[in-house]
Amino acid sequence: MATRLGLGDLLRAAPRAVGRYTGTLLAVFVVETILAFACMIGIAALLAQAFSHLPMWDEAVDGDLYALLSCIHYARVHFVGCAGIAFGALLLWQLASWFLVGGTLGVLARRPEGRGDTARTFGATGAATYLAYARLALCSLPGLALVSFAFTVGIALAEPRMTQALTLPQFFGPLALGTFPGFLLLHVLWTVTDYARVELTLRHESHDPGAVITYLRTIAFVIKRPVTLVHAALGWFVFALITAGYALLAHGHPMFGAEGAVALFVIRQGVALARSTIRYGVLAGQIEIGRTRALPPRRLESQNDSAKG
Amino acid sequence: MYEEAVRRFVVALFLLLAACSHDHGPPRVQHLPKVDGSPALRGGGAPRSNRIANYKIEARLDSQRHQISGSETLTWTNTGASAVDKLPFHLYLNAFKNESSIFMRSSKGAVRGARATESGWGWIQVDSLQIAGTELAPKLVFPNAPDETVAEVTLPTPVQPGEKIEVAIKFSEQLPEVFARTGYKGEFHMVGQWFPKIGVRTGPPGAEQWECQPLHVNTEFFADFGTYDVTLNVPSTEVVAATGVLIAANETAGGMRTLTYHAEDVHDFAWMADPYMRLITGQAKVEDGVVEVRVYARPEQYDFAVRHRDAAIGAIEKFSSYFMPYPWATMTVIDPPVDAAMGAGGMEYPTLVTTGPDHALMRPGIRIPEYITVHEVGHNWFQGMLASNEAQEAWLDEGVNEWADAHVMSDLYGPHTSLVDYMGWQGDVTALRGLDTEDAATLPSPIATAAYAFVDNDAYGEQTYGATMNALTTLEHTVGTTKFLAAMKAYARAFAWKHPTGRDFYATLEQQLGTDLGWFFEPVFQKVGGMHLAIRNASCIPGHKPRGVFGEGSGKKTLGEVEEPDTGAFVCEVVVQNTGVIHVPVDIELRFADGTAQRLLWDDKGQGNWERFVVERSSKLVEVRLDPDRKILIEPPVTHAMRLIGDGAASLRAAARISWWTQSLMQLVGP
Repeated sequence: MATRLGLGDLLRAAPRAVGRYTGTLLAVFVVETILAFACMIGIAALLAQAFSHLPMWDEAVDGDLYALLSCIHYARVHFVGCAGIAFGALLLWQLASWFLVGGTLGVLARRPEGRGDTARTFGATGAATYLAYARLALCSLPGLALVSFAFTVGIALAEPRMTQALTLPQFFGPLALGTFPGFLLLHVLWTVTDYARVELTLRHESHDPGAVITYLRTIAFVIKRPVTLVHAALGWFVFALITAGYALLAHGHPMFGAEGAVALFVIRQGVALARSTIRYGVLAGQIEIGRTRALPPRRLESQNDSAKG
Repeated sequence: MYEEAVRRFVVALFLLLAACSHDHGPPRVQHLPKVDGSPALRGGGAPRSNRIANYKIEARLDSQRHQISGSETLTWTNTGASAVDKLPFHLYLNAFKNESSIFMRSSKGAVRGARATESGWGWIQVDSLQIAGTELAPKLVFPNAPDETVAEVTLPTPVQPGEKIEVAIKFSEQLPEVFARTGYKGEFHMVGQWFPKIGVRTGPPGAEQWECQPLHVNTEFFADFGTYDVTLNVPSTEVVAATGVLIAANETAGGMRTLTYHAEDVHDFAWMADPYMRLITGQAKVEDGVVEVRVYARPEQYDFAVRHRDAAIGAIEKFSSYFMPYPWATMTVIDPPVDAAMGAGGMEYPTLVTTGPDHALMRPGIRIPEYITVHEVGHNWFQGMLASNEAQEAWLDEGVNEWADAHVMSDLYGPHTSLVDYMGWQGDVTALRGLDTEDAATLPSPIATAAYAFVDNDAYGEQTYGATMNALTTLEHTVGTTKFLAAMKAYARAFAWKHPTGRDFYATLEQQLGTDLGWFFEPVFQKVGGMHLAIRNASCIPGHKPRGVFGEGSGKKTLGEVEEPDTGAFVCEVVVQNTGVIHVPVDIELRFADGTAQRLLWDDKGQGNWERFVVERSSKLVEVRLDPDRKILIEPPVTHAMRLIGDGAASLRAAARISWWTQSLMQLVGP
């Protein structure tokens, strides 16, 4: 009978993984930083095209509300372009992340020794599971549609109370209640996707499980093992805590004591790295519990059997 | 344990929802209010106005059916020089009678975000109209049919100049579910534009015409001054607030009570009835006494009521100081219940206004609630006392009032924080309201357009409010604030208790400022085209003495770079242009690399569309700023300042922020 791991076991997996495979974490983070940096340069170029000769933009960026609104009004198309660049970066990252998550999970699952072996494992697993992850993303679309529906209905139900709210609890209370089902469902779906990826990675060579069947089996697994949800929720909680902490510290200090954008970029990458570490630690825990799952049907063998027959 | 957690969650959910609701329980009998000891006009004294239209009204509210039945006696004086053979009456509530009314057609059933409901129609019906005992109701006609917001009756005998006529009217009405100023919402009743009201005779002596416009979504009101004695018969459970002062209060049979209000030198009467309202009071100190300020709000809106009260007190004191003292004894501010705020909030009547918007996100420091109160209270000057025609020249009350509001808000809350001072963000009324206004140059209707004749409702709003405020602020900056404020004060005092027109406004300002302002008023208020100010070109070249071939014959010599080297100075050329129709003096600031600056003035008064400036300086020109002090609010200022060499640092800083949030999203969806 498989060992039943507790929350503590999952949490303890995080520092072990971060300590042993720090390079993997940093490599993934470097890719993320490069993309974020490219996004920044693209947006900066677009904004500079509109505003480099207009001093009012400097005032806007330095916190003058009137100047900011005036500039947005003046160059709406450029701001739409900025949103397009950001969306493009997001999309690109989503596509890249299938490879990066696959590689990371492969490393954490197979525990290779040495840099070369780790890099080979990373690349091989990332490439091997890429299409399976892509199919998994398609499988999650109906769930995401359900999440959208839950958010829409929840907010529609909360809206009358929110529009008539006189205090912040009256405003955020209904908002929290209205969005709670949507967030809960989203959390379940994201956790299911995480564990389905783990399963696809762990069993890729031995069982080559199909994406659809893995997704459906993982829904049952996650529901049966609430610790998976609690563990992932803790990760998101710390993620939010780091973000909120930074926002709190940065509030009222737009440049956080640094004059230039580069200094700002560096400071924020530190925050982003902390959050990446949390996500990495969560993946490590998920690998641990993923190992304890019942084995999936052996698709390769059944194909071989039918071929023999 | 799991069940316990679920139980606790359900209880918490229930408590949270309960906390969000505003259940007041069944209405209770209210204390009979004390009558006001003060006269309607502070200190009493002689009439301020000519009191042409005087009303005695008795009305009974059926708060369950939201119906009113009433009778009124109108005493009207023909102060013109020509005889009057017909009387027109506003029947405003018929705006809500059906979709054939001009109001419903022009509003498409929605005003300022509030929408008419299928079950909430409202109407007014004249049951009887008698003059000298003769019943004339059957002879009422609707000249704008199918619109029924104006009814006319031909008189059996014309009213000669100087004569008075007494008209006895009985009416019954159904209040609409409120979405445009008047009506009910639940137990709340805001009763405005509710009684048959006579039009106004305007025009030169001997050629007067009735001005009695049907109600359009953009038109508000226009009426003669007079006295109002209004007796309201309402359930004892109602808290009532009304224009004027309460002079009698008595309990009557059937759980009802009568409240009699008296108002002088006003041109309208409005009232509110609601069983759950609470009153908070304060006093505004003006130069010749105090004004009792009353704010009515439901208990859950107490915090906002305090903000509205303080804003109302400040507004009365500042408007009194800027223009003329508030003349009446009381100022009542109604803070409508949150579910009625969109429909009933933000409306002005003499001595009584409605305000809003009370909302959780209107944190202290976000001063939109205060601004609405200041604006509506301000209307007691611009329209309450200076009773301009809101249908024909809406800018004269709304826009002028907006301009004055900006001053008052600035005085009350600080020049840079008059509208927003929250979490480090700051903004003043003039700037932020200006942002809300589309570039006037793009609008096909000028400011001085009749409210019902604008190309669309957005153009009406932008020109009448923001564009007028921007224009007056620009003029103020051009002539100087002190002089302009003095001129506006003179205008207010000259036309209080009258019906000023735009022409009166222009003439008074020109007279007070001692200058012809046609170059400003004509293009700004009467024409389309706006202002298109731009820096066409700015450049610098190294300065040197003239080079080339000089002299003749043997004296001919060629001077080149060697003979006449650069002096080290720079010759800088700046070309500015204005392709719009509005031309106001423009300050130009040239900034140089050594940190020095030079100011120039382009004041062509419309004589030219461009100007070239050439200066020689020891340092290179790096930046040109048109209107560096931001005096001109007529057009957006973003392109008024230009660097000669681009600088992408700010863009990089902005991009760093945007990419940070993008990266945060990336971390949500990726590893």
